[in-house]
Parts: sequence; structure tokens; C-alpha cells
Amino acid sequence: MSETSAWVIFIAAIFTNNILLTNFLGMCSFIACSGQIRTSLGLGTAVTFVLTMTTMLNYAIYHFVLVPYGLGHLQFIVFIAVIAAFVQLVEMFVERFSPKLYFALGIFLPLITVNCAILGASLFMIIREYSFLQSVGFGLGAGIGWAVAIVMLAGLRQKMRYSNIPEPFQGVPIAMVVTGVLAMAFMGFAGMVSIQ
Amino acid sequence: MKGLLKVFEAIRPSFEQGGKLRVFKPVFEALDEAFFAPSATTVTAPHVRDPLDVKRFMAMVVIALFPCVLAAFYFFGLRFAVMILVSYAAGGAVEVVFAMVRKENINEGFLVTGMLFPLILPPTLPLWMVGLGVAFGVFIGKELFGGTGRNVFNPALVGRCFLALAYPAKMSASWLGPGNGLTGRLFEYAGASAVDSLSSATPLAMAKQGQFIGLREMFLGNISGSAGETSAIAIILGGVFLLLTRVASWRTVASILGSFVLLAGALHYAQPGTFGPVLWHLCAGGLLFGAFFMATDPVTSPITNTGKWFYGIIIGSVTVLIRNFTGYVEGVTFAILLGNIVAPILDEIVVGVRIRRLRSEG
Repeated sequence: MSETSAWVIFIAAIFTNNILLTNFLGMCSFIACSGQIRTSLGLGTAVTFVLTMTTMLNYAIYHFVLVPYGLGHLQFIVFIAVIAAFVQLVEMFVERFSPKLYFALGIFLPLITVNCAILGASLFMIIREYSFLQSVGFGLGAGIGWAVAIVMLAGLRQKMRYSNIPEPFQGVPIAMVVTGVLAMAFMGFAGMVSIQ
Repeated sequence: MKGLLKVFEAIRPSFEQGGKLRVFKPVFEALDEAFFAPSATTVTAPHVRDPLDVKRFMAMVVIALFPCVLAAFYFFGLRFAVMILVSYAAGGAVEVVFAMVRKENINEGFLVTGMLFPLILPPTLPLWMVGLGVAFGVFIGKELFGGTGRNVFNPALVGRCFLALAYPAKMSASWLGPGNGLTGRLFEYAGASAVDSLSSATPLAMAKQGQFIGLREMFLGNISGSAGETSAIAIILGGVFLLLTRVASWRTVASILGSFVLLAGALHYAQPGTFGPVLWHLCAGGLLFGAFFMATDPVTSPITNTGKWFYGIIIGSVTVLIRNFTGYVEGVTFAILLGNIVAPILDEIVVGVRIRRLRSEG
């Protein structure tokens, strides 16, 4: 059990251990859904919500169901099932209350299910042996960190819309380059707070 | 001058469409425009009458850098001239190749980047690193985005950030004790062999061990540090020139320095033993240089005035944060890069709020 306070983990998950810019998890929707600030903000919020909730759910299921019955090795399947079920709920919710966002996100909303950042966060939580409070801090921080990164990329891509980018670099490649520079800038926070 | 004009007119046809040397047209144009004002006039409206074009704009920045360059020569010797040369040659090569392939003119923006870059590097950094850094900065930070005016990051900062992460040992140990006396190091070529790790620790690095260098030295620049950042007075001279000519936005500078002073002051007030005094922090490291010359780049900073205030506040506070709480000694590079990154979002928010207000009024 690590002794770091939940608050520190929360900050670290946003800045020093940003799940996207240091672990490069969840790249697919990060690249594909970052054309517009509004859409990316919507997706970022959805991911943050799903990430926080599934870390909490998975924590409970892992520690109160899987471990007592010696089923720890099933964690991958169980985590994915929990995430998929939860995303279905969110999808229905978004479709009901914000059809505009629902259509803007398109296929990427159900694809949150296979967003590696979400499964990654649950697995990190188990590997790093977080307590419940630490898990909540980590889940929320990782989600916000992911959202911050995608909104930043969307802002830059929106600004680049009229740039004369060389043909081979248009679209995804230049987004990767920008992501690299983003990651470089975030390296500046290294050592501020640290978790494993 | 007339003779020169004749020469240019005589060889011009071979660079035009169909001429033998048309690949080198960008080079020719650049030389031509360095000597003579372009004769082209706009065919349709708008007709801009203001003489402040991109070239003049960039020239202002180079002029403003003059005191810093002189200070760098005085404190760190002739090697700095070689660093400038390498920086211009390596970055210029990238620029020229792109201009040729794109069949565009060579842009004046590089004059500034090529000058800024050696100024923010440790004075005894190996020359190949200077070349690599500036080439990386110009290539990744500028040309891939379409060249001057289209870049989303400051090219010099991208280059420096790359060097700081790729060669951390060299970047944090290539300092040099400053020259003294009447001529300083003006006639010296101080390479890596002159590095004395004891006498050449930068003020910020020494502060981590609890030693604070006197304010007078910091103000004059008689300290170790990146080539152009040591002398506060030289930077302020150039910076005030930039502000007076309105090339740099006073809002950006004011909000960076203001937020920095407030936060650093609060920290010093809370724990005077751990955190340095405000004025000391203000003169230390690259803060002044960054605030006046790097953050005010009109391309990579927000367009809206309100956006500029928030942009400055972000840079100032991130600098305080990185300087005092992370493993890095200096954080201005990262802070301004982060500022560049959030700049378009700030603009978006400001414009969005304004539109909403207009709608509710209308």
C-alpha cells in the first residue's frame, strides 16, 4: 500500500504522470476526436466521468469480490465488462440529454469502452496498490489530465486549420508531432510530485 | 547602390520562371530584398500603408536584442559569435531548403529565431548541439506548420526544450564564469575546457544549496547563466525599446511579471528561508528575457487582449511552480511553451464570452 495522499496522487495524475502525455494511453480517440475544442471538451468530460466511476467500481469489485474468492486472475475480463456496461449507460444518457454531442462524438462514444486510458487506470490502481480514496483521486486526476491534453490538442489543431502544412504531414502526423511537443512541455513538471 | 541594382536586374531573369537558376529564386529574393525595398504593390484592396511589415517588425526585435548580444560578448567571449554563426547556418539551411521546395520567399522570421536561440543556451555548449537544437526547432517548431506566422510554438523554445530533455547533463553543466574588468572576455575564446564547475554554477542552482548571489551582480549580469539572460539591465533596455515601438505587447509582459512577483512574494513571505526574495528571483535565470523576448512573440501568443492577460498569468505562475517545486532549476522555457499551447484555447474562450455577451445585448 503506497502512503501518498489522495490529493497528491490527484495532482500528479494531471501534471507529472499525465496518462496521455507520459503513458501515451488512449491515443486513438485523442487523435481522432480533437478537431474541435467543443467536441473534445465533451469527449474529455465523458472520459473523465467514466474513468472516475469505473475506477471506483473496479476497486470495489476487485477487493470485495475477486480477491476474496481467489479470482484475481480474471481482472482483465471483469474490468472490461464493467467498463463496457458503464459506457452503455453513459451513451444512453448522452443521447437522451445532448443529442448534438451524441452525434458529434459518433462512434467514439461507444469506443470509450476500448479507450486504453480507462482500462489502464484501473490496472495502475491494482498494480500500485491504491486504497479506495487514492483510487478516486487517481481516477479523477487521470481523467482530467486526459481531458486537458485533448482540449489543448484541439485548440492547437483549430489554430492550425489554415496552416500550410506539408502534404505528408497533414492530419494525423502533425497531430502526433504536436502531441510530442505537448509531452515535452509537460516534462517540465517532472519531480514536482511523484507517484511510482 | 545603383551599380548593385543593375547587377540584380541583370541576373533577375535567370531566376524567374523558365530561367536556369529558378530553384534558387528564394535565395535571390532574400538577397534582393535585403538591399532594396520590394517594388511589388497590392493589386486589390486592402492597401496597407503602414510601413511596419513583417521584415521591419523582425528587424525591431533584432535591434532590441543588441544590448543582450553585447553583454553576452562581454561576459562570455568570442565563442558566442561562433554560436550565432552555427545557429544561423544550421537553422538557415533548413529554412532555405523548405523555401526552395515550397517555391516561397525566405522569411525574415528566422533572423530573430537564429539570434534568440544562442542567447538562451549555456555559453560553452558543444557547437553541434547548437546546430542540432536550432535545426530541430525550426523544422519541428516552425516549418512543419507552414513557416513564419503559422507556427503554433516558439521555434527557439522548442529547440531549447528538446536539448534540455535530450542532453540534460550538457545543458545543465556547460556554464561559464562571467568575464570581469574592462574588456571582460571580449578577446577570449572560452570553450568547454574553461568550465570550472565551482565558479560557474548559476544563481538558481546555487540557491538550491541556500546561497544567494548579491542583487547588484544579478542586475548587471556579472553572473553565470545562459549567454543572453544574465544581464537584467541589458534585457530591460531592449525590452523597453520593444514596448515603446509596440512590437511587444505590454499586457503580456505586465501580466507575466506581475503574477510572478505576486506568487514569488507570497512564497518568500511564507517561508523566507526556503524561497528567495522577489527581486532576486525576478533577475535570476531567464525570466526577464523570456517575458520580454520569447513570450511576446505575436504569432504564438493569444490575439485577444484579455487572452494575453491570462496567457501571462499562466506563464508567470508556472515559472514559479517549476522553479520552486520541481527537479528543474529553471522553468521559463517550459512555462512559455505551455503558454503557447493554451493560447488558442484562451482566444476561443475570450471570443466565445464576447459573442455571448453581444447576443444577450442584441
